[in-house]
Amino acid sequence: MARGIIAFLALTLCSAGVWGQLNVVATTTNMAMLADTVGGERVEVTTLSPPDRNVHHLEARPSMMAALRRADLVVAVGAELEIGWLPPAIDGAGNPSIQPGRPGYFEAANQVERIGHMETADRAMGDVHPQGNPHIYMDPPRLARAGLALAEAMAELDEAGADAYRANARDFRDRVEARLPDWKQAAQDAPGVLLFHENADYLLELLDVPLHGYLEPVPGVPPTGRHLSELVRGLEGSQGVVIRNPWQSQRATRLVREQLGWPVVVLPTNVPLNGSADDYLELIDQWVQAFVP
Amino acid sequence: MKRLLTAFLVAGLATGVSAPVSGEEQDDGGWQPGQAGQNAGGNEGPREPVPAVDRGRITAGTEFNPAISVILDGVYRNDFSGEVEDPAGFGGGHDHGHGHGHDHGIDEGMQLREAEITLSGTVDRYLDAMTVLAVDEGGNVEIEEAFIQTRSLPAGLRLKAGRFLSDIGYINRQHIHDWDFVDRPLVSDALFGDEGLRETGVQATWLAPLPFYNQYGIEVLEGNNPGVAAFEGSGSHTITGYDTGEDPLDARQRSTVSYGLDDRSGPRLFTAFTKFGPDLGFDHAAQFGLSGGYASSWQDVETHGSGRVDVWEGDAWFAGVDAVYKYDAGRAYGHGNWTLQAEYFFREISVDYENREPTDWNNDEDEGWELNGAFSDTARQDGLYLQALYGFAPRWNVGLRAEAVGLKNDTLEPNDARTAFESEDITRRYSGQVRFMPTEFSIIRAQLNYLDVPGHGHHDDGAWTFMLQYNVSLGQHGAHQF
Repeated sequence: MARGIIAFLALTLCSAGVWGQLNVVATTTNMAMLADTVGGERVEVTTLSPPDRNVHHLEARPSMMAALRRADLVVAVGAELEIGWLPPAIDGAGNPSIQPGRPGYFEAANQVERIGHMETADRAMGDVHPQGNPHIYMDPPRLARAGLALAEAMAELDEAGADAYRANARDFRDRVEARLPDWKQAAQDAPGVLLFHENADYLLELLDVPLHGYLEPVPGVPPTGRHLSELVRGLEGSQGVVIRNPWQSQRATRLVREQLGWPVVVLPTNVPLNGSADDYLELIDQWVQAFVP
Repeated sequence: MKRLLTAFLVAGLATGVSAPVSGEEQDDGGWQPGQAGQNAGGNEGPREPVPAVDRGRITAGTEFNPAISVILDGVYRNDFSGEVEDPAGFGGGHDHGHGHGHDHGIDEGMQLREAEITLSGTVDRYLDAMTVLAVDEGGNVEIEEAFIQTRSLPAGLRLKAGRFLSDIGYINRQHIHDWDFVDRPLVSDALFGDEGLRETGVQATWLAPLPFYNQYGIEVLEGNNPGVAAFEGSGSHTITGYDTGEDPLDARQRSTVSYGLDDRSGPRLFTAFTKFGPDLGFDHAAQFGLSGGYASSWQDVETHGSGRVDVWEGDAWFAGVDAVYKYDAGRAYGHGNWTLQAEYFFREISVDYENREPTDWNNDEDEGWELNGAFSDTARQDGLYLQALYGFAPRWNVGLRAEAVGLKNDTLEPNDARTAFESEDITRRYSGQVRFMPTEFSIIRAQLNYLDVPGHGHHDDGAWTFMLQYNVSLGQHGAHQF
């Protein structure tokens, strides 16, 4: 019995990470990248979802609650992207310090202004987010600004690291700003993009790349034959590129390729698991390259 | 116990109060969340503007109003072959032989099974509250759940109080729209009644601080569940008769038989459960549960037109195991996903049984009856189900469920000599379903059931049922527990 208790305690302490480290739980690999970039050595980051999933369709799992139970800080994309699973996972974790409104809760999308904010919303419009498009991680300057806010959030939880967090966040922002002119330059002649879902709108807006529409008739509903034929009819004779995520269906993109002759590029919107800021900048590079076929 | 509760509450208040106030305004011209985009990035210098952090959760909800959702559930049912009956031996003492049930809550033909209205929100820093109302076609409103739950207790502790679905087993806490089949599993229906184990009381849970999921919980409940904590209380049964040839009002005669049961104030039902979920990576997830409960009082009464009364009084306990495994294929709209789910429950009810018969008219209820058979015996019954679901195409899944109740089936039904309870055979049911999900907010499901109740000569062929269901949700974006 005594040995059992000691083993239990040892496990508990180990699971809390190295003593003194901030235990951060990120909902996506991009958020984990941001937390790791800003937090550096002072944080231990756990990621709740892999990069090859549609984060909107996940389910609250026991392992998420176990991770959140021990978290000092949750870093979410927010704006209802994780609404199907993060609220019940946080509720089930029994950890008051990460409840919304507390210093341990952080939504990146809440730190910047969002596009697509709606005055009225109806589910006939699909799975819309009336509070604006949540996919702010596809806008590097916005993500960098969220990083600056994240540094403040971390600083409040770990005062001793405040300077380090701020320096790291500024460093990330500087790296993004340094790349911005190149991206703008490269995307200058982009003929336009047909997206599967509205999850790269921020990047298109940032780089002034025309958006030719979405393969989904309304957000969250798979492409229908009728919608695709309307799309194709409207775009006939013009130039562009189709970009889809790895988990999205090939059938619809194949049809567009056959009918319009546009190239199809498969790209993730998230960095690999445990990806770094370098991976993120490279991911944006790949998107920019894809804009100009 | 009371001291412990107080300690919990004090600790909760303390953590709440000590939490720093978030979203403070910066006095150095730093940008605010609303205008975050405009001036970050410029202004390089030794004192860079410090962004204010917004700790809120962005929602489509309307600020201080509770989040509202309405779920509509409609079912068409057709028993196209054979006779659908209650499982053998699970009448709870209330039926003789086999009742011709209505598959609990689902009638033949078309119906709106329920409109479920859920209101939820945060009361204050310390409490969340949730109310789930079910309105049926006849306009009857039932409080499915109404409870408050703590949100600021430390160390993985949570308390819940009110009327709620118990956390025993896996499917018990789920609402209709969470089910993978149209109907409730037989074992849940047979051992806990057609609403599952839903009680008024308090619950405490603790999530262990481990690298894997491990939750412990106890519940102290009033104890009215017809399956595991049936309660009747004191009372009597009166029949009225008339002398022939006289004016009935003058010739009215009464005969009264007392139940002989005591009123016992609650709580009468106590449960405990633990759940364990290993971390299996992003593609796999599993949860295993162990739960049980003890009812300090189990009372039931069956009255007859002859004035005769059957009385059961004793106590009961139950225990069960549950397991769920889910595979996420990572493809669009659930394509390639698997879910395997199984539960087993055992229930034991130890009672004194009495058959009380009236002996004369115009009597006093304490005297005018006699015992015609009394014995003590124990009813032991169990049941299980196993189901599998597979996403065979985007937005489509197919599922199979196999069920058995009464593997051990010593019932509460007295034998003809009134010396012991009778035993029955196993009831089996097999179900298949196909579900189409046009969007996240709606489903259409078709289901076929084959029910095999052990017969006593009549209709031995089993019964076939076809059901068609729609279930749509309006309002607040739903979230699902594992």
